[in-house]
Amino acid sequence: MNVGTAHSEVNPNTRVMNSRGIWLSYVLAIGLLHIVLLSIPFVSVPVVWTLTNLIHNMGMYIFLHTVKGTPFETPDQGKARLLTHWEQMDYGVQFTASRKFLTITPIVLYFLTSFYTKYDQIHFVLNTV
Amino acid sequence: MATATEQWVLVEMVQALYEAPAYHLILEGILILWIIRLLFSKTYKLQERSDLTVKEKEELIEEWQPEPLVPPVPKDHPALNYNIVSGPPSHKTVVNGKECINFASFNFLGLLDNPRVKAAALASLKKYGVGTCGPRGFYGTFDVHLDLEDRLAKFMKTEEAIIYSYGFATIASAIPAYSKRGDIVFVDRAACFAIQKGLQASRSDIKLFKHNDMADLERLLKEQEIEDQKNPRKARVTRRFIVVEGLYMNTGTICPLPELVKLKYKYKARIFLEESLSFGVLGEHGRGVTEHYGINIDDIDLISANMENALASIGGFCCGRSFVIDHQRLSGQGYCFSASLPPLLAAAAIEALNIMEENPDSQTYFFHLGIFAVLKEKCGQIHKALQGISGLKVVGESLSPAFHLQLEESTGSREQDVRLLQEIVDQCMNRSIALTQARYLEKEEKCLPPPSIRVVVTVEQTEEELERAASTIKEVAQAVLL
Repeated sequence: MNVGTAHSEVNPNTRVMNSRGIWLSYVLAIGLLHIVLLSIPFVSVPVVWTLTNLIHNMGMYIFLHTVKGTPFETPDQGKARLLTHWEQMDYGVQFTASRKFLTITPIVLYFLTSFYTKYDQIHFVLNTV
Repeated sequence: MATATEQWVLVEMVQALYEAPAYHLILEGILILWIIRLLFSKTYKLQERSDLTVKEKEELIEEWQPEPLVPPVPKDHPALNYNIVSGPPSHKTVVNGKECINFASFNFLGLLDNPRVKAAALASLKKYGVGTCGPRGFYGTFDVHLDLEDRLAKFMKTEEAIIYSYGFATIASAIPAYSKRGDIVFVDRAACFAIQKGLQASRSDIKLFKHNDMADLERLLKEQEIEDQKNPRKARVTRRFIVVEGLYMNTGTICPLPELVKLKYKYKARIFLEESLSFGVLGEHGRGVTEHYGINIDDIDLISANMENALASIGGFCCGRSFVIDHQRLSGQGYCFSASLPPLLAAAAIEALNIMEENPDSQTYFFHLGIFAVLKEKCGQIHKALQGISGLKVVGESLSPAFHLQLEESTGSREQDVRLLQEIVDQCMNRSIALTQARYLEKEEKCLPPPSIRVVVTVEQTEEELERAASTIKEVAQAVLL
């Protein structure tokens, strides 16, 4: 869906995660978060990775699974008002590409975090939870 | 901070991998397996259709009997026997070749045939042509539209007004623009068909209350309040509306607006007032039911009316506060997606508004009454004259220029009633009084009113004609019903 064109998309929120470049932007945003956290001087590298993992998971949980409805008015007479973004994605079709991608990134992030924390016990607990 | 043991060299990291605790590695293994499963799973929709076997499908196809394309219809169905009107449906119309006095068209102020209105329309026709060929957002906005909106807003003393090009679509677009799924609308049982369609399009929860029964409405509002207290978070986001008509078309009664405003402030609901019949009829200057009761117009959130009755034009308008009306410019489906009102009709409506504002003295009365007062007098007169007909009862208030005559005792079947009333109408037509029955889409109405003859009083009918009509109806009713 292109911005500014006439389209029959009743709820643009469903197609946001399919738009061009959003996956790349998402990965870059995680990278940016990580670099910002890395630049705090007194925090060590494994803590930074754990923090990245935690903040990323919490943020995604809030935006995808907690907040309901849309930030704009939709012409679907309020059908999406009680649905979270995750439920709205692709009109409820399960296992689409975007959904798979968004499910896999926390797992990959977890792998990286575990790697960089050298499998330390405390970090492990935090990350797994 | 980097001591030798804490250096994050890749070799060291991979070494750490070998020394990792077992549970961690197992967990990671499980996660990898899950990723592979995800990557290979198919996309499917949440609600699966039930799978029928081929044999079941064949059986179903065998059983199916197609319905006829045209269902069998009785020969005297009203849609097949219509009356043909030649010429404008003004005070004296020619119906089926016979000249009758018009008691059926909603031409309350007689503006249909007014020479000033016609002249304004003709001048606009010469200037703009006939149609606009576009919706308001797509080069369909002309200065006459903006002018008419301005004039209507000033006349009704509200901040802004918006014009629709079809009267039915006005309220049917206005309601779904504000009320969505999950919102609650309290609506009267006798609401007209346009309101019902608007409510259906809005997908909200509809709660019907008995016609003009404020106690029933208060009961429903109280129940809703109890529900709200159980779930305050949900209640904070649901919107509540009350939809009423000023003068009901189906019953000819006026809504009790002062009590409604009190209920509105007590239970925090918004009022949508549909003034199709009362605009240009009620009130000292014709501003409708708010002027009639002397209520501040800012108490009503939205007033919607169609211009097809008193104003003798086509289309409709909504008026209210600016931020309410402005929302409809993008969300009113009838506004955004239909062609705008033809400029000649808008010019005719402006001229009609001019006449209404001047409020000319009409007819031969000793004291100079404006047209609204004259209309009120005539309504009262014919109401009194039509009381006491054996077999027919008058339904509607004496203020209402459009009221119904229903059978006092129904014969038991609706078709029989309709046929009897049609007999009365036909005989009245023979004596050159043009009446009509109130027609409904019987299968589509939520609360179907009983069959009735609808009588309309206009400012152009003289006293003698009113008397003659009353006596004609009396004689015919006597002849047919007894």
